[in-house]
Amino acid sequence: MKKFKRILSYTFLSIATIISIYPFFWMVVSSTNASVDVTRGRQLPGTHLIENLTNLFDQVNIVTALTNSAIIAVLSTFLTLLIASLAGYGFEMYRSRGKDIAFNILLLSMMIPFAAIMVPLYRLFGRISHTAPLIGLDTLAAAFLPTITTAFFIFFFRQNTKMFPKDLIEAGRIDGLTELGIFFRIYMPTMKTTYAAAAIIAFMNSWNNFLWPLVVLQSPGKQTIPLLISNLGSSYSPDYGMIMSAITIATLPTALVFFFMQKHFVAGMMGSVKG
Amino acid sequence: MKKVVFMILTIMMVAVLVACGNGDEDSVDDQEANDETEGTTNGEGEAITAWAWDPNFNIRALELADQAYDGEVDLELEIIENAQDDIVQRLNTSLSSGTTQGMPNIVLIEDYRAQSFLQAYPDAFYPLTDYIDVDAFADYKIETTSLDGEQYGLPFDTGVAGLYIRTDYLEEAGYSVDDVQDITWAEYIQIGVDIKEATGNNMLTQDPSDLGLIRMMIQSAGTWYFEDDGSTPNLANNPALEAAMQAYRELMEANIVSMVSDWSQFVGAFNDGDVASVPTGNWITPSITAEESQSGNWAVVPFPKLEVEGATNVTNLGGSSWYVLNSDGKEAAATFLANTFGSNEMFYQDLIDEIGAIGTYLPGMQGEAFEEGHEFFDGQSIVADFSEWTEAIPAVNYGMHTYAIDDILAVELQNYLNDKELTDVLEDAQSQAETQLR
Repeated sequence: MKKFKRILSYTFLSIATIISIYPFFWMVVSSTNASVDVTRGRQLPGTHLIENLTNLFDQVNIVTALTNSAIIAVLSTFLTLLIASLAGYGFEMYRSRGKDIAFNILLLSMMIPFAAIMVPLYRLFGRISHTAPLIGLDTLAAAFLPTITTAFFIFFFRQNTKMFPKDLIEAGRIDGLTELGIFFRIYMPTMKTTYAAAAIIAFMNSWNNFLWPLVVLQSPGKQTIPLLISNLGSSYSPDYGMIMSAITIATLPTALVFFFMQKHFVAGMMGSVKG
Repeated sequence: MKKVVFMILTIMMVAVLVACGNGDEDSVDDQEANDETEGTTNGEGEAITAWAWDPNFNIRALELADQAYDGEVDLELEIIENAQDDIVQRLNTSLSSGTTQGMPNIVLIEDYRAQSFLQAYPDAFYPLTDYIDVDAFADYKIETTSLDGEQYGLPFDTGVAGLYIRTDYLEEAGYSVDDVQDITWAEYIQIGVDIKEATGNNMLTQDPSDLGLIRMMIQSAGTWYFEDDGSTPNLANNPALEAAMQAYRELMEANIVSMVSDWSQFVGAFNDGDVASVPTGNWITPSITAEESQSGNWAVVPFPKLEVEGATNVTNLGGSSWYVLNSDGKEAAATFLANTFGSNEMFYQDLIDEIGAIGTYLPGMQGEAFEEGHEFFDGQSIVADFSEWTEAIPAVNYGMHTYAIDDILAVELQNYLNDKELTDVLEDAQSQAETQLR
């Protein structure tokens, strides 16, 4: 009976695994096939990988797009973590009268869809373009600045901070650390797993972000990877093999980030659930 | 200690901004360069930018136009490739926020969407009436690219439709190409049934969420989803739409349709030889000829017609036109378009030779390039045929909401296939459209 149960659960898990891995398998396989074979649904690896890659590198500037995406993703992840963790820490650790009201209002902001604030935001960036061209329209900074303080990450850090032992703060104060010193020297190292989990989510969000970069990044030299892939699919007779190889390349960085931080990610997510 | 930490933080923030700034130096320079050239002509020539989609088609057309340009004003054309949906999103965001910064001078817009832009942003586009000879273009294009008597778009490619059909399958079923010239949908269905019996292959593919076939059918009969004003829905008492829905249902019931759910399956079906015909716009030619093993087995014949008053064997699917944004550089952009797409007959020969793009500028639609036989289509001069049909496409006003009606009708069409009464189907669609688009 026990054995039967085991077989059953393994069968179920195997099916679930196949369902979740299959799209990736198909993506990789298709990147080695010619466009005609992709439309025919060929499931076996082909011999067109080199040809697809050559076409891709000839036709579009994928290196620039990767660099732009990397700059945006890294900077936005760094700033998001810094700002959101400071805010989350503050909300949880310090006592102040309007704190909970402020936090609730912040959470409410999660309910406003991005499309609703896009036009005003665009106007705003259009206005500051004249006075501060470094962060105005069509700059990489404009692509990530609106996303670096999201209610989600502040909430995420606040929840996790509940697990942080308050005694450590007292100990730090007795040893003469300033409040910021406590944050940087005690809180940050202790909450490594939380930072790792947040980093993966922030990196992925930023790497895959499409709508906002689409409207603010206008010149081809500023293109990010999702914008580039969107362009590839726009022709009347798209080259699916080439598109699939571009998508495979675009997926690699997030996959790598996840693999390297997987251990911390799982621990960090567990933390937020327990809290 | 506090001060030190604050200092470090400040330095970090500054460093971050500078890091972004470094990557952006070009853009600052570009802006300055733009500021200098805006409205004036310096030694280098005035810089204009153009947005379009599809590198093998529209982008190539712009490149050829850039080479063909021989106007007096020196121009530097920068061509930027954007997906069509991305252009729509960017234009909408930018025009509704009233910021034209970073927008191009020339932009390509699909004809079905043109009126929604022209009517929603009345001052955003620059009239080309004084730059081109409006009468020199195919009638049906003018209808969709103008508003209140002003010509805003420079008509570009035709989406003239034909029936691509497999001659070898026809022969197996006992037909010849002559038997499928100028047929009706009823005849088409009969042939489809015979082909399926003889070869086992379906006649065509359909994507239930894409009503392209219905749109082609009703335009061939000279009507559209809207009255002539482009805003009053014309669904309930529209004989052509009624006939189109009936033909659609008969196709489905004859069991000669392969269902597909996206573009790649659509292309895959005819590349694989699973279907005997493809009724669609001429821009599908490169996808058909991509499967070289089928060379010599295809022909293009006129689109089947509905059996209603005013029905013809010519229609259109898709197609787009060039627009000039009403911002600095508009005169230069308009001059460029008028000099190339607007008047250069030789340039239209190049468009055919190099990319197979059929324009809608009538004086440009003749000559050697148009008469040449196409090997893949067994020597048929498909370009000449398409050009001839283009001139006869019935002009209709696509209005502002073609795709909104598509969404409504797609649902009602399924209800009709599930045995809901046709009059109820169309009346429900009509009232839904009236409520939604009020």
